[in-house]
Amino acid sequence: MKIEWRTILGASLFLGIICAIYWFWSTEDTGTALLLFGFAAYLMLGGYLLLQWKRRHGIPRSEDKEDATYAETAGEHLGFFPAASIWPAGMGLGGIFVGVAMIFGNWYWVIALPLILGSVIGWSVESEAPEDVPDEVEAARRQDTNIDPADIADTDAPAHP
Amino acid sequence: MSSLSGRLLATNFGSPPGVTVGDKYVRSLWHITYYIGTPLAALVVGLIIWCLVRYRVKPGEEHRVPAQFQYHIPLEVAYTIIPLILVAVIFGFLYGGEDKITNVSKNPAIKITAEGFQWGWRFTYPNGHQEQGTYQAETNINSVANLPVLYMPANETVQIRLISDDVDHGFYIPAFLFQRDMIPGVNNVVDLNVTKTGTYLGECDQLCGVYHSYMRFKVDVMPPSTFNSWMSSQAPHSITNAGVHQ
Amino acid sequence: MTIIQDRPGPQPGAPHGTLVEEPLTEFVPGPRPRGWVKFITSTDHKQIGLNYMVTAFIGFLTAGLMAEGMRTQLIAPNNHFVTPDIYDQLLTMHGTIMLFVFLGPFAFGLANYIVPLQIGAPDMAFPRFNNLSYWLYLGGFIVMTGGFLTNNGAANFGWFGYAPLTNAIHAPGPGADMWLIGIALTGFSGIFTAVNTITTVFCLRAPGMVMFRMPIFVWNQLVTMFLVLLAFPVLTSALGLLWADRHLNTHFYEPGGGGQPILWQHLFWFFGHPEVYILALPYFGVVTEVIATMSKKPVFGYKGMIGATLSIGGLSMGVWAHHMYTTGAVLLPFFAALSLLIAVPTGIKFFNWIGTMWRGTITLNTAMLFTVGFLAMFLFGGITGVVLAQPPLDFQLHNTYFVVAHFHYVMFGGSVFAVFASIYYWFPKYTGRMLDERLGKLSFALLFIGFNLTFFPQHDLGLRGMSRRIAVYDSNLGYNFLNALSTTGAYITGIGVIPTLINIFKSMRTGAIAGDNPWDGQTLEWATSSPPPDHNFESLPPIRSERPLWDANHPDELTRVGH
Repeated sequence: MKIEWRTILGASLFLGIICAIYWFWSTEDTGTALLLFGFAAYLMLGGYLLLQWKRRHGIPRSEDKEDATYAETAGEHLGFFPAASIWPAGMGLGGIFVGVAMIFGNWYWVIALPLILGSVIGWSVESEAPEDVPDEVEAARRQDTNIDPADIADTDAPAHP
Repeated sequence: MSSLSGRLLATNFGSPPGVTVGDKYVRSLWHITYYIGTPLAALVVGLIIWCLVRYRVKPGEEHRVPAQFQYHIPLEVAYTIIPLILVAVIFGFLYGGEDKITNVSKNPAIKITAEGFQWGWRFTYPNGHQEQGTYQAETNINSVANLPVLYMPANETVQIRLISDDVDHGFYIPAFLFQRDMIPGVNNVVDLNVTKTGTYLGECDQLCGVYHSYMRFKVDVMPPSTFNSWMSSQAPHSITNAGVHQ
Repeated sequence: MTIIQDRPGPQPGAPHGTLVEEPLTEFVPGPRPRGWVKFITSTDHKQIGLNYMVTAFIGFLTAGLMAEGMRTQLIAPNNHFVTPDIYDQLLTMHGTIMLFVFLGPFAFGLANYIVPLQIGAPDMAFPRFNNLSYWLYLGGFIVMTGGFLTNNGAANFGWFGYAPLTNAIHAPGPGADMWLIGIALTGFSGIFTAVNTITTVFCLRAPGMVMFRMPIFVWNQLVTMFLVLLAFPVLTSALGLLWADRHLNTHFYEPGGGGQPILWQHLFWFFGHPEVYILALPYFGVVTEVIATMSKKPVFGYKGMIGATLSIGGLSMGVWAHHMYTTGAVLLPFFAALSLLIAVPTGIKFFNWIGTMWRGTITLNTAMLFTVGFLAMFLFGGITGVVLAQPPLDFQLHNTYFVVAHFHYVMFGGSVFAVFASIYYWFPKYTGRMLDERLGKLSFALLFIGFNLTFFPQHDLGLRGMSRRIAVYDSNLGYNFLNALSTTGAYITGIGVIPTLINIFKSMRTGAIAGDNPWDGQTLEWATSSPPPDHNFESLPPIRSERPLWDANHPDELTRVGH
């Protein structure tokens, strides 16, 4: 996490400096506004990652540890990876028809809106389908998984001396 | 292509000689870029070719594993610092020349307004006289006979105000090594000081619609005395239409 | 059918260090859809990646045909192969499709396919979102190209669409709207892909794959995606304002109503310059991978390479107005300085590539040949870039064929050659079969000769003063021979694509079986079968350096990295 937030906050800082120089040198509005937007956008991203890092008390994840082994993370729940789903295609078609409506007239909202709304419903229902989640995982997720920093010994130490 | 190699050997390194006072700044930048860029490119290409020839795997040693090395800090620092210095040198050269080229004089010899429109030109002189022409007068691209003409005195600072009636146009005269956009809402004023009399071809170089390719004009650079007598022979607020014989 | 993915590897039960303990669940692949249903519904990153790449290549062929049409028009002075209006449509759609449909999305396809494999992830972070972004992209392609079927034809104001030429008066009809909406759709698709890739890289790396062990390709894709995240929203909003101008009678870009046409230029190029690096950085990554693998060496100056990528990314956001030097409305020294500075990290990359080849054992196969072609052509394009970064020289050369030559050396000689290198390098992974080397080398030879014949003469045309985007030219200005030469080269380039196409179709069925790791690769995508199974890995080697597979395959001391 550390490298992630440092990189992005670094980019934000760079854009901030460029923005300041640009403003005082050129006093041109558009570019300054855009650079400011870039600065703020990256600040938001980097800030979020920094916050996550703080919330973990700086404890590295297994992908941040140089000497992590698969054994210590095997079985770790990574997330949902649905094999196939029709709803993105429906939503994509709906999005395209929104575009078509903006070209050829508001008519096409009649096609676009049902497609998008239907897909949103289908999509959200699909990802919550309870029968798709094996019981063990559901049970495991309900367990308290609080982290005690003291349990993790000196994980910031480099792998190779 | 032969003429390109000929020009490369001449002092301008490929760029045609310009006819304005700004030419020497452009030329110096071509020079410095060539002096820095050519050896650098030769070095890089040479190293690549050397690697391919010398380290290409020979038959029978496909499974040889080369020495595995990854960092060489002094070398890496060197090829960071040296390009930085070279770039700074180029920047130093262009910083001066660019000011000279974009400089706008307070008291030019004459002020002309050049107006671009779809698809033609209108040049307005201080006394209100206008030279204009559109593409309809000239649809055969191979002839320059009926193009609108911008008359200018040589060896004097001519200030041209560039305006556009409709869409973006570009005021470009290849022989002057110079161009400037004509954008509605942007007031562009440029100074031209041409050192060589003659007729040059100018064109719009900003895509401005269907007949963009036909939007050309001629520049007639005359000795100041000839220009002054031409100017005084034009009645105030008269209009000359190119291609129309009066 | 939802699958809950677990880390591959041995049984759990580690004594300490586990943050979230969950029991190992059964890996249950559900019934897999096939054929068209698979194409439409698949959320597998590999399927979507291939969809992207195939669609992008169709875009390449479409826009390539348009280029051949333009070059045919310019083969002779005052030619009338197409009307000036059709010519403008061709040049607009050629640029738009090449940038928004081919080069960018092909890189997104590579990001989809290769990035999760290289970091040991089971899939992209948001698989369904990924599928959605493909459909928006395909829709964008179809919508913008569909402009040719309308009465007034497709958009005809150039891919940069300078206001006020794009307003309802100068560009009436739906063609312009279709261009605008098409780009907006591909823009949304790009933003979604960027979010997806960044999340994948940040959250789905395999244990031990710390940031400074990721392959250079992944780093470059990551920086690219951050540029996408900054650039595309600006473009999309600029297009939104343009749409409002066209349909709601607003006056953002209308000089008559108090608007500023120059505003469009600022917004467009603030997108447009990072876009150039969005189209280049992923291909730098491809080239780095190919060079390292084919030389059997680690990437020389790995951390310097990452630093160079980050500085190119950073600087590219501060140089947009070097496309606007001749507007007379921008701060020249600021943009000139930053533009020239970009040459420095690019130079570092070049020397690192050479350092990677240095004292290696170089296999000069088709992928490597295209890579070397990339190096030479991109170098030349870079140097002409330094020329154009200098305002006084830009005053001479802006909007002439010199610029056309410059960016085709960067985009075609650079990125497109890297596209071909990526095809020849990763095709065994996609299909499990090798591409034919002889057809590949033929393709390279034709493309290399044709490309140089097309674009080298254009430098001289620009120096002679031939401006861009003109449908006809005067026969008395010395442009004739060079244009004929250039068109001949364009035909050879077009023919040069054919051997690769034949090669792909032939080798899909009859190519030699590749095996998991045909190139003695170093990164994790070669650690799985070809093509990889659903969710990618049955097992992974331990990750202790930036080339885990090499360490696993060459365990002896001599093949470790020495400093």
